[in-house]
Amino acid sequence: MRLLLPWALLGSAVFSLADPSANAAQDSQKTVDSAAAPPQHFRNINLVRNINLEKSYARETINVVVENIDSKPQSEYYFPFERGQIKRIGGLEAKDKKQPERTGFTAEIAALDQTSATEYYKITFPAALKPNEQITLSITYVSLQSLDPLPAKIEQSDKQYVRHGFSAYAPSAYTTLKQKTKLKLPTTDVPDAVKLAASLNAEGKEDPQRQGTTFTYGPYGELPAGAVEEVSVRYEFTKPLTHSTRLERDIEVSHWGGNIAFEERHWLTNRAAELKNQFSRVIHQQLQYYNPPTSALKELKFPLAVGSMDPYFTDDIGNVSTSRFRSNAREANLELKPRYPLFGKWNYSFRVGWNADLAKYLRGAGGDKFVLKVPFFEGPKQAEGVAYEKVITRVILPEGSTNVEYTTSLPLVDESVTKHYTFMDTAGRTMLELTALNVVDDQRDIQLVISYDYPFAARFRKPISIFAAVAAVFAITAVVRSLDVSIGRKTKSS
Amino acid sequence: MSALQELWEASASQPFQPTISKDSQFTVGAVLLLLALICTGLFGLNSSFKSLPIYALPASLAFGVGSVYMICAVGVYV
Repeated sequence: MRLLLPWALLGSAVFSLADPSANAAQDSQKTVDSAAAPPQHFRNINLVRNINLEKSYARETINVVVENIDSKPQSEYYFPFERGQIKRIGGLEAKDKKQPERTGFTAEIAALDQTSATEYYKITFPAALKPNEQITLSITYVSLQSLDPLPAKIEQSDKQYVRHGFSAYAPSAYTTLKQKTKLKLPTTDVPDAVKLAASLNAEGKEDPQRQGTTFTYGPYGELPAGAVEEVSVRYEFTKPLTHSTRLERDIEVSHWGGNIAFEERHWLTNRAAELKNQFSRVIHQQLQYYNPPTSALKELKFPLAVGSMDPYFTDDIGNVSTSRFRSNAREANLELKPRYPLFGKWNYSFRVGWNADLAKYLRGAGGDKFVLKVPFFEGPKQAEGVAYEKVITRVILPEGSTNVEYTTSLPLVDESVTKHYTFMDTAGRTMLELTALNVVDDQRDIQLVISYDYPFAARFRKPISIFAAVAAVFAITAVVRSLDVSIGRKTKSS
Repeated sequence: MSALQELWEASASQPFQPTISKDSQFTVGAVLLLLALICTGLFGLNSSFKSLPIYALPASLAFGVGSVYMICAVGVYV
């Protein structure tokens, strides 16, 4: 703490410059906190939080009426998460609820204080909010690994219950005048939901209120910034908690072949409850007749783009034959069954790939310029959802392409343009590598648009290099055949 | 909407068309490779400097382009 104090003092000095009303307290702990906290420029008038727990990850939507209580126009709204939790938050985006078409909102992790227990996303409005004006923000995000099976071990044919812990008070870096939290559960079988004292509730009612599969915590009256009231719900969720620790996706563009090749390498794990006993093949086989809900992952469905062809499905052993590909003019569905059903904490890694005609994905944009539009990732589409910790997409462009530009609405953490060497390459293919964290299968339609220049000379690199090699062999043959290596006296040619 | 997205929309009328369609890659590759083989054979009969431009040059050209198409036709899209 002693080491941190100078930074804390510096921080408080900066904030007091920005906001003369800020109280620069000098005692150590408080100073760290006040430096770490964002300036109190806003006030939440009314906040409604929806937590959707119908899938294997939590999707939260916070609709909040925000008022600028500062004397100057402000455009930076902070949104807090606990340290540790922020690493599992994905797809955070903000919108103007009343004008959904309004763009220009950005959300990024703010580096305020590396030692604080709270970290913030900074949401920047497209235009500053004037004093005393209001905006209705709609903040959405997904929280990965937020459901934990309880009990953690079950029998093979048991129902699974999962627990979701959260704060009954919505996370906020500002004073909130009125708020409530609504939970949408997939079932009415809810053995536990933490009850709060009716005195906390603004209307003095029983807390939470239950209506079918919906639970409502609140409404609550005025609460200071950072107020927390830990609660949890436990409900039936006899479905796999499919979690991908890593997804690598390669997209290879071939101008000569008129083909685009996709390959995805998946590392899956099922976060569901572990088996209490050994896996029993007999019970598993018996249950196949009834096909009851189970926490085991048995099938993966890949709805591919129409026109996809030549699919393959392999793992470390080799080809996996339990797959089906239904392809016609309207659909191209790849249905895979893993080599074994994935029970809780079991892992499976595999690769799938397919081809498609390039014409549907690539357009000429005049001259040597081309535009490519592909999905950032595809992966399985499951009713219960799939969460990805890390998605690495590599777009391998033809050899010699330059001036690569891209755009996608998915937030990225890393990007690079390097060279990739494969069959018949001399200079290496230009490869764009993009990394995204905390992605869910709902985002599988997000497109990646890439433009690149493919100069005329680069197009003939492959045949010309083969031509040169073969021509050299012919020339050497001609030279060798013209050499006179006979022994004996040379006969003079007259 | 970003500039690249607009570029994509604007070039809707120019989908990429390969010189040789996927269906005819094998035919084109096979014909060119056969041509390369014949020319190589003729060059082999009289491998002098004089026959270099007559036989060796077309053979190398046919082999260069033909092998690229044949490799594509068998599924390795280079």
